[in-house]
Amino acid sequence: MAKELTPQEMLRIDLTPPNRDWMDIPTVIKPGIYCYPAKPEKVEAVGMPNPHVWSPLDDDWGLPEDWKETFLQGMRERLDKHRSFKIFMDICVRCGACADKCHFFLGSGDPKNMPVVRAELIRSVYRGEFTKAGQILGRLAGGRKLTEDVLKEIWYYMFQCTECRRCSLFCPYGIDTAEVTIIGRELINLFGLNINWIQEPVANCYETGNHLGLLPHTFKQNVEFMCMDIEEFVGIKVDPPFNKKGAEILFVTPSGDVFAEPGIYTLMGYLLLFEHIGLDYTWSTYASEGGNFGFFTSLDMAQRLNAKIYAEAKRLGVKWILGGECGHMWRVVHQYMNTFNGPPEFLEEPVNPLTGTKFENAKSAKMVHISEFTADLIKHGKLKLNPKRNDHLKVTYHDSCNPSRGMGMFEEPRYVIKNVCNNFYEMPENTIREQTFCCGSGAGLNAGENMELRLRGGLPRANAVKYVHERFGVNMLSCVCAIDRAVLPASMEYWVPDVNVCGVSELVGNALVMEGEHERTTDLRGEEIPGFAKAEGEEVKEDV
Amino acid sequence: MGRNLHKGLREILEQKKGPVVERWREQIHKSYPPETAQFLKREKNRFSNPIGSSIEESIWPLYDQLIGEADPAVTKKLLDNLVRIRAVQDFTPASAVQIIFALKPILRKEVLPLAQKKGLLKEYLEFESEIDRFGLLAFDVFMECRERVWEIKRNDLLKRPYLLAGGMCPSYMMKRGIKHLEKLKKEITQH
Repeated sequence: MAKELTPQEMLRIDLTPPNRDWMDIPTVIKPGIYCYPAKPEKVEAVGMPNPHVWSPLDDDWGLPEDWKETFLQGMRERLDKHRSFKIFMDICVRCGACADKCHFFLGSGDPKNMPVVRAELIRSVYRGEFTKAGQILGRLAGGRKLTEDVLKEIWYYMFQCTECRRCSLFCPYGIDTAEVTIIGRELINLFGLNINWIQEPVANCYETGNHLGLLPHTFKQNVEFMCMDIEEFVGIKVDPPFNKKGAEILFVTPSGDVFAEPGIYTLMGYLLLFEHIGLDYTWSTYASEGGNFGFFTSLDMAQRLNAKIYAEAKRLGVKWILGGECGHMWRVVHQYMNTFNGPPEFLEEPVNPLTGTKFENAKSAKMVHISEFTADLIKHGKLKLNPKRNDHLKVTYHDSCNPSRGMGMFEEPRYVIKNVCNNFYEMPENTIREQTFCCGSGAGLNAGENMELRLRGGLPRANAVKYVHERFGVNMLSCVCAIDRAVLPASMEYWVPDVNVCGVSELVGNALVMEGEHERTTDLRGEEIPGFAKAEGEEVKEDV
Repeated sequence: MGRNLHKGLREILEQKKGPVVERWREQIHKSYPPETAQFLKREKNRFSNPIGSSIEESIWPLYDQLIGEADPAVTKKLLDNLVRIRAVQDFTPASAVQIIFALKPILRKEVLPLAQKKGLLKEYLEFESEIDRFGLLAFDVFMECRERVWEIKRNDLLKRPYLLAGGMCPSYMMKRGIKHLEKLKKEITQH
């Protein structure tokens, strides 16, 4: 609710902000920047502490009486448990190399969004409460005491970091600020102060297996809706297997692909690809979510929600797991799954059944990325493709933070795109690959109520898209992440209105020449493909 | 306006373009906290500094629009470049568009004395009104941007019907709706 200004306030137009140390500038929590608080029943559903109704705009956040001791005890435990956290608290020399690398700083201009300062919000409490120098010298040693205002500030800014890790790339000491955010959020969750956009998916995922809370029959039904669309637009019947015991491969993708536009077209791409090569695979209505909002809550919650993937692979008796286009799912798979819930000795080292390629990179976690799999199929000439169907598109590729920085996948999606599209343009070097800019809404910040924050955070990425749009006429921004697909359309709507968003597998699906297909006059969205639309009484001839 | 601008005054404005626009840029940078202002000034790469580069790319041609033959479409695009970013940042509407009015004190210092020397005070005051017009146009742009944000918020919500139903998907809602209808029918027939 907008506050009514007093006449005095109306007359005071503050044009130059104060020149003071960050510790002296009070944080004002503003609508449009924060996400709504977690509903108590969703906190309770997963047995997390202090479920209660509260509002970030209230003075009283409903903290338990002993909140301070709980916070400090929580911090102490994590300093002992995570050596990385302890080191990151100790070694930062505040050189500022990371300061201007964060998309939220670049889009907002708020100095507390410099990664160094955001981490300093917690680091100052560490110094003030845990180190001798800080306890004695206080501010002089960069320390401060934990107060309610400090907690509120930490809360506000921990949800203005998407854990994209671009800053960590530039830190000479290798400090990963995302890990500070991860711990910061864990501490916040000791008091039931999560945001609902994260908490509700977590509770849903725990109860039904996916973020949206789709029950098994609904999940199946939604995929079958996509099959009906495929029948209409491609002219073939696809009958995907569900919970099929003894299948060779288990396919897991974020549930956003099953439900949200434009993710559903990416899902149609997967279905066509698997049909095209006659893959022996299965969907699971239990492991019906690749994404893991538990990762944005606490590492324990991430582990709990991740467990179903291996459990289901074991139950169905598959040989290995194939994963769809998702962002943080791949960070969890690549960096945590094997130690969270593995090693999965019941699975085999993934081998492409059509090409014989061993995916040695997936030797331990036993999970292969769909872009790696598709690139391998194309490399071995296993796919019949007509890239001309994508000729009306001028495509660029947004490296999603987690698959690129989190697992080092740069070439495979590009190889796939270049084989299914004739017009591909890279964005400038300092905005792609390991230096990629976040979409601005990752790590559970893809809600609607924090749109101003999302648009600020999306500016650096959109700025690079705008450049290739103006220079080369790029009209399609492709990516391999469900959150990207969900949030980049809004960012484009604001910053570069003529650019659309799609998954890489959607482009593959459009280019795949399927056996028994009818003339493809429309793409998987049901939109006419320029140059392929049938004039009345005319046969369409495809020049493959 | 540009068309009617007095030739002598235009000459002064063109001659002073460099110092005026540079000071203008400085004023815009200063509307951000000091650490940010330093960064906006320092970083020259347009992809590493989207705010700074959009300011730089807009203010020079905007000044030309102000003193020359203003093309409404071009002027609006340049103002959009400046204001669109500020419309989603921590600025009040007044301080978001104030950057246009910030030109006035700069011009009074750099241009007004020279104009007065040439007896062009009346012309100068007429020219100043053009800055007001640009400022009001900037407010139009600001409002368009804010309305766009709300449209995007609305579209985002409409795309997520399951949220309105407390985490249920549309097909489930339909089924629930049908059941509810059946229950109602039953109740009506019973009564």
